[in-house]
Amino acid sequence: MSDALDCRGVCLRYRAGVPVLTDVDLAVAPGEVVALLGPSGSGKTTLLHAVAGFVAPAGGEIRLGGRTVSTARRCTPPERRRVGMVFQSYALWPHLTVLDTVAYPLRRRGVGGAAARTRAHELLAGVGLADLAGRRPAELSGGQQQRVGLARALAAQPDLFLFDEPTAHLDAHLRGVVLAEVAAQRAAAGAAALYATHDAGEALAVADRVAILYGGRLVQVGTPADVYARPAGPAVARLTGPVSVLAAPARAAGPGLVSVRIGTVSVTVPGEPGGRILVRPDWAGLGGDLPGRVAAVRFAGPHTDYELSTPAGDLLIRESGPPRLPAGGTTTWTLRRLWPAGDGTA
Amino acid sequence: MTASAVPARRPGAAAVVLIAALVGLLVVLPLAGLVRVAAGGGLAGIARALAAPQSVRATVHTIALAAVVTALAVPGGAALALGVERQEPRRRRVLRPVVASGLIVPEFVLGFGWTQAYGPAGLTDRLAGIPLPGLYGPAGIVLVLATHAVPLAYLVVTAGLAVRADVDLHRAARASGAGRWAALRTITLPLLRVPLLAASALVFASVVNSFAVPQLLGTPAGFATMSTLVYQDLNLSADPAAFTDLTVVALAMVLLVLVAVAPAEVWLGAVRTRPPNLDPPVPAGSGRLVTAAVWAFATLTVGLPVLAVLLAALTRAPGLASVPANWTLANFADAFAGETGAALARSLWLAAAAALLVPALGGLLAGLRGRLAGRPLAVAVTLSYAVPGSALAVGVAIGYGRWLAGTALIILVAYLAKFWILGYLPVRAALDRLSAEPVRAARVSGAGPATTLATVVLPPLRTALASAAALAFLFAFHELTMSSILYGPGSQTLAVVVLNQRELGNIGTTSALAVVLTVPVCLAAAVLLPRRGRT
Repeated sequence: MSDALDCRGVCLRYRAGVPVLTDVDLAVAPGEVVALLGPSGSGKTTLLHAVAGFVAPAGGEIRLGGRTVSTARRCTPPERRRVGMVFQSYALWPHLTVLDTVAYPLRRRGVGGAAARTRAHELLAGVGLADLAGRRPAELSGGQQQRVGLARALAAQPDLFLFDEPTAHLDAHLRGVVLAEVAAQRAAAGAAALYATHDAGEALAVADRVAILYGGRLVQVGTPADVYARPAGPAVARLTGPVSVLAAPARAAGPGLVSVRIGTVSVTVPGEPGGRILVRPDWAGLGGDLPGRVAAVRFAGPHTDYELSTPAGDLLIRESGPPRLPAGGTTTWTLRRLWPAGDGTA
Repeated sequence: MTASAVPARRPGAAAVVLIAALVGLLVVLPLAGLVRVAAGGGLAGIARALAAPQSVRATVHTIALAAVVTALAVPGGAALALGVERQEPRRRRVLRPVVASGLIVPEFVLGFGWTQAYGPAGLTDRLAGIPLPGLYGPAGIVLVLATHAVPLAYLVVTAGLAVRADVDLHRAARASGAGRWAALRTITLPLLRVPLLAASALVFASVVNSFAVPQLLGTPAGFATMSTLVYQDLNLSADPAAFTDLTVVALAMVLLVLVAVAPAEVWLGAVRTRPPNLDPPVPAGSGRLVTAAVWAFATLTVGLPVLAVLLAALTRAPGLASVPANWTLANFADAFAGETGAALARSLWLAAAAALLVPALGGLLAGLRGRLAGRPLAVAVTLSYAVPGSALAVGVAIGYGRWLAGTALIILVAYLAKFWILGYLPVRAALDRLSAEPVRAARVSGAGPATTLATVVLPPLRTALASAAALAFLFAFHELTMSSILYGPGSQTLAVVVLNQRELGNIGTTSALAVVLTVPVCLAAAVLLPRRGRT
């Protein structure tokens, strides 16, 4: 079976000549969710727009379900691509009721008015909005609006969902609720999805694979566990979660092991050799042989973040439970594993 | 943001009284005078004036013209807006001023340019032997007014697009399976209903208001509108009964415009403003087509007519070919032989006075924002802009003729009444954008009220006041309708001199003066337009 989405060497630039996307190769298997993770301005939305058919690539090609839909020469219009899109701004039509909004994709496909409304009612019940069918967007909360947007995308029965930061405009507590709703509905529909976000937690939680877009290029594609444990560089590491960069060279010390010296103490831990090292907050712990000073302590409820000044630089350590140390004193710490920072900018 | 957003001391009762008095003097007094004289003959007099065959004909002509021009210009302007605004920003920045270029050429110059470009013995006639049939007459008036109104409709629809029709709404429709036309029909046009209605009202009112083009193209063909009728009756007849009849026609014009504009004012008042989407829009595949269409439109409707005027101004005699061998500056010398220099100076100081006083008046009125009295005063000023120039001028003549007849001051009174709103709207918009936070931030940062006003409140208003001044200068400098009614011996404005030269049939001097009339306007616009294009 062909991939739900296959981008090959996609290049895109605006007329000014500034490249927005450069040589993007990305495949999404049927039923797979790929998170497109990148900082704002990295080209996430542009790539989604290219897949949806809102912009034409300058080079390369895009296939949906094996069908070529975009080349530099020929572009299938958006309405003939069978994609379902959920927008950051919700993009609900202010003059249509919730019911008409969800029925809209069905009506465009030639489904009769009554049948489309019946189906729209079912979809709205599925996202818990059955009571609000008669309202207009202005009368809904942000979370409700985005669930209408989701129901509209579901109504299209697409082969591929495109999610453009669907939770970005929502309050923190609503974000989790809508994210769960999106994930559950996507899974029930069974279609593949490309999910753009700049939030590491969201990307790691929602996706089968994470594709990291930086400056218009895909710099790493892998499973969430893989991109977290083995980021391609400091920038990717920061995008995929909290991380510290220490100025301490790691030397090979046996298969899969490296030795690193911090201050006067050398330790041997799992990792790869490299000039500078990356340490996730959960890869180090309080107590042990390495020297440090507690610069700051931040209690976050389930866990506490400790910011340490070490001879190799600043280090973040995350431990469960309430603070065990006051800020300002000296302490010791343990390194459990590391990953080289690489030398590239990514 | 409400009135509490702006910190400065709330205007006291004295300010309200002052502004109310100014509105009374500039707006209410002329209109009341018009009503008083019109009603002087009683109901029977009004009925007789309205039933007179020439009144009926002019009224029918005016309504028909306004309806046909609206039906042509609004879809045209909307199509251009949809085409241009959905282009990428760079292309849009170039195309916007090209579309709007027609607005900075005085209506009279544009109409005269059409006769020189497409009329008998015009450019196309001489070069290809094809004059535009029917240019003198209703068809020509419709054509010129429609092309002049297209940019007007375009601006209104463009503003509506930015506020109401976010590009994502169009994208969502396309992703939901709607083709280009289905998305236009089911999403974009319904969202633009209010701006389209507002554009229709504006175009309708501007056609009723229009004097120069009907006078240029209609009068030679014996085709009168209400505005040309008022002008003719005023110039040709000294009979007091005829004057009363004319005020009745003028009042009918006011009512005609109010019927068209009042609902739009209500709808526009309800516009929800939302920050426009700054996303790069859908680069439609039709970019080249749109660019070609915009340039063709601007070239045919503005470029060629203005070029024809320029060539006629430089050519020794009307019949000659416009080649360098026949070029001369004699037309300019002839044009300035008589009273013209004085008229030009008068026009310049009138425009400068308007540019100074209109922002001041507008700022005063905008300062009343949030006061109960502010709203009716703003409505009065809006209506005085909508009132056709012919009617307002007759009202000003009635109200102030006793003291100011035949002086340039009476013309200034009419300008201030008509253009007050040009000062009010930009300043109010700037005040609306001014949120409370920067002001509070200035205060907690240690600025006193006066320093806050000078450093935080006024700088954003400075741009608004400057654009108000520029707009007032442009409108006042090429104002013809009211000036042609109010001028007396020794108080002509440049626009009036141009009109009179044309009525005398002096093509060369008319062209030369039209060039003089257009150049300062274009220079001022060149300063103003790039600033607006950047937004």
